[in-house]
Amino acid sequence: MKYAIETHELVKVYDNGFRAVDNLDLFIEDKTIGGILGPNGAGKTTTIKMLTCLIPKTSGNAKVAGYDITTHPDEVRNNIGMVPQLVSLYKDLTVRENVELCADFYNVDQKIKDKKIDDLLELVDIKYAEDKFIDQLSGGMQQKTSVVASLVHDPDILFLDEPTVGLDPTTKRVLWDLMEELNQDGRSIILCSHDMYEVDKICDSINIINSGKVVASNTPQGLKDQLLQNKEKNNQYILEMIKELEQENSQENVEEINQLRSSLTDEDEKVTIMLSNINEDMINALEDLDVVKEVKMVGGGRLNINLKRSETSVNSVITEILHNGGNIASIKTNDPTLEDVFVAITAKKRKEIKYGNN
Amino acid sequence: METTKIKWMIKKDLLTLWRHKIQVASLILFPIMMIALCGWGMGGTVEHTPVIIVKQTSGPITDQAINAIKSDITYDVKDIVDDVQQAKDKVDNGDVRAAIILSSNFEDDATRNAVLYIDSSDQLTTQTLVPKTEMIFASLSEEVGLSQVSSNTTTNPITSTVQTIKLQVNKIYGDIDYIDFLLPGVLAMSTFMSSMMTMGNSIAGERERGELARLFMTPTGISTVLTGKIISQLIREMMMAFILVFSAILLFNVVINGSLLLLFLVIFTSTLCFVGFGMMFSATAKTQEDYIQVVLPIAMPMMFICGVFFPTETMPWILQKIAYFLPLTYANDAFRAVMLKGAGIEAVAIDLLILLGFTLIFFVVGVSRFNRDI
Repeated sequence: MKYAIETHELVKVYDNGFRAVDNLDLFIEDKTIGGILGPNGAGKTTTIKMLTCLIPKTSGNAKVAGYDITTHPDEVRNNIGMVPQLVSLYKDLTVRENVELCADFYNVDQKIKDKKIDDLLELVDIKYAEDKFIDQLSGGMQQKTSVVASLVHDPDILFLDEPTVGLDPTTKRVLWDLMEELNQDGRSIILCSHDMYEVDKICDSINIINSGKVVASNTPQGLKDQLLQNKEKNNQYILEMIKELEQENSQENVEEINQLRSSLTDEDEKVTIMLSNINEDMINALEDLDVVKEVKMVGGGRLNINLKRSETSVNSVITEILHNGGNIASIKTNDPTLEDVFVAITAKKRKEIKYGNN
Repeated sequence: METTKIKWMIKKDLLTLWRHKIQVASLILFPIMMIALCGWGMGGTVEHTPVIIVKQTSGPITDQAINAIKSDITYDVKDIVDDVQQAKDKVDNGDVRAAIILSSNFEDDATRNAVLYIDSSDQLTTQTLVPKTEMIFASLSEEVGLSQVSSNTTTNPITSTVQTIKLQVNKIYGDIDYIDFLLPGVLAMSTFMSSMMTMGNSIAGERERGELARLFMTPTGISTVLTGKIISQLIREMMMAFILVFSAILLFNVVINGSLLLLFLVIFTSTLCFVGFGMMFSATAKTQEDYIQVVLPIAMPMMFICGVFFPTETMPWILQKIAYFLPLTYANDAFRAVMLKGAGIEAVAIDLLILLGFTLIFFVVGVSRFNRDI
């Protein structure tokens, strides 16, 4: 398998002794969209800085686009583009001047430079603003310019560090579409984000980093399934964390406790179904199903149903409703979200740090 | 390829300057303001000092004294009164700076005297007015003495003409005003301060805003980026230095005694050294504030130790020794040698070599400490 990013026991220890990255084994497949998640201080930024050759590693190995970051830094730089969170463009230069500057710094062939820039500006729909100064652009347009400046040398891999922070939902969607389009063109996209919805929506794989290590790695759905499989254990971690935070009796912990509580995985699968034509036979038939524990009728043509969690539970309920003449408008389940996965995994890590692995 | 990148860095910095009209205005006005302040505020001479004369008698000597005072540009005679107390009150109230009291026996050959009643809280005026007044009365005394010798043979010529002896002063560089002394120092200080501040913004500021990180993620060496930055700063600082020199010439008739080409070389070498100084300290500063916190405590004392305002020879022994280790001392020395003494290349060669030595140290330390980190 070919990897866009491949690290083996990568370590970064800063001069003050802080071990920001600790034997990191990170693998992101080529031509995919790989998400990197982690709480603040987890080591994501340090990892990205090492992978983009901004800072040297302490030990271990890392390859980006097949090139070793220590022995072939210029090859790495030629094959990557970076869209930082902070729009780091020169505010006193125009959009085009900024992109031209980057093109020359990436040694883009002068013969194709102008056309390349024109094409990219048109791709992200900011050609009309090429003579505007960066300060005169909206946040979304600034970020689009940043993307163009990072793509001007046609890199194989594009790093994006929280690219949609502070952007409105419409602009976010434009950037997500752009990332998917670039991926379909054969580029690998590495996305660092705190926006779980964003990562869940566009990433093919996710690596969760905590305390400088990869603590979980899977597809978004794979991570959610893992959470369900380990729900008892995860719930135990979360409950212990809640207990510990409650003992600290600090006002500051209230929000964290609430977040942890909300991420506890239910034993039962809860389904809310909006439908028309609810009748008594339908309710009775549903209550008779083995997988159904409880059926509650609430106002506005809505049924709340508690199910035993299994792969076929929801299908059985739907079949029964349709059989009894119901017309389903929508179905909402309480399946864990990526945020639940994230909270559970980071809580588990906090507990391990505090009490050890046993 | 690297040349294109260096050109971009220069173009970018100069475009930034050009597009910030306030910065252009500052680049032009700062040196003019500096030289105007120093010329008018610090380098001027005391003239038209308001005084009052107390005349308690009449006669040819009294009239001669009053005429001599009135005709001297140092004084602005506001009034001539006969009441001593009234004159003293005017001095005490600050209406005038001094009262020149010609006593009632001023026409009497044996007991003739005069009193200068002066507000000594103004040191500069006192330092000017006292010797000037002494000189006027000495000159008057000499004239009176000589006329008595020629008209009265009984007068002892030795005692009457004793004050005719004059001290002759030979100034090897002619009459140098304080502004002349100050200009080379102000030139050195302005380029030093400006280089430091703009280099801080150029490197620490761009690092803080993440702009440098974007450049360092490209296959570009640190030395390429720094070379571009150094050249653009040199252009900027030299423009400022020339505005300062020409302002001094136009506003204060300052004469550059040495070769303009040599002055250009001194400005270039000094600016290069100061830009290197700024680059060395901004190499590891993460923010502009960090940079200023580190640089100001070093830069500010340099202006006082290195002979910008006062000659280093007048300073305590320890400060004189410290001055040897600071580049501004050698820049000052070279500027003064060329501008005041009209020195040639051989006279400033040591200063220039020491400045180049400092530059080399600053560049080596700066580049080795520089990292690509955001």
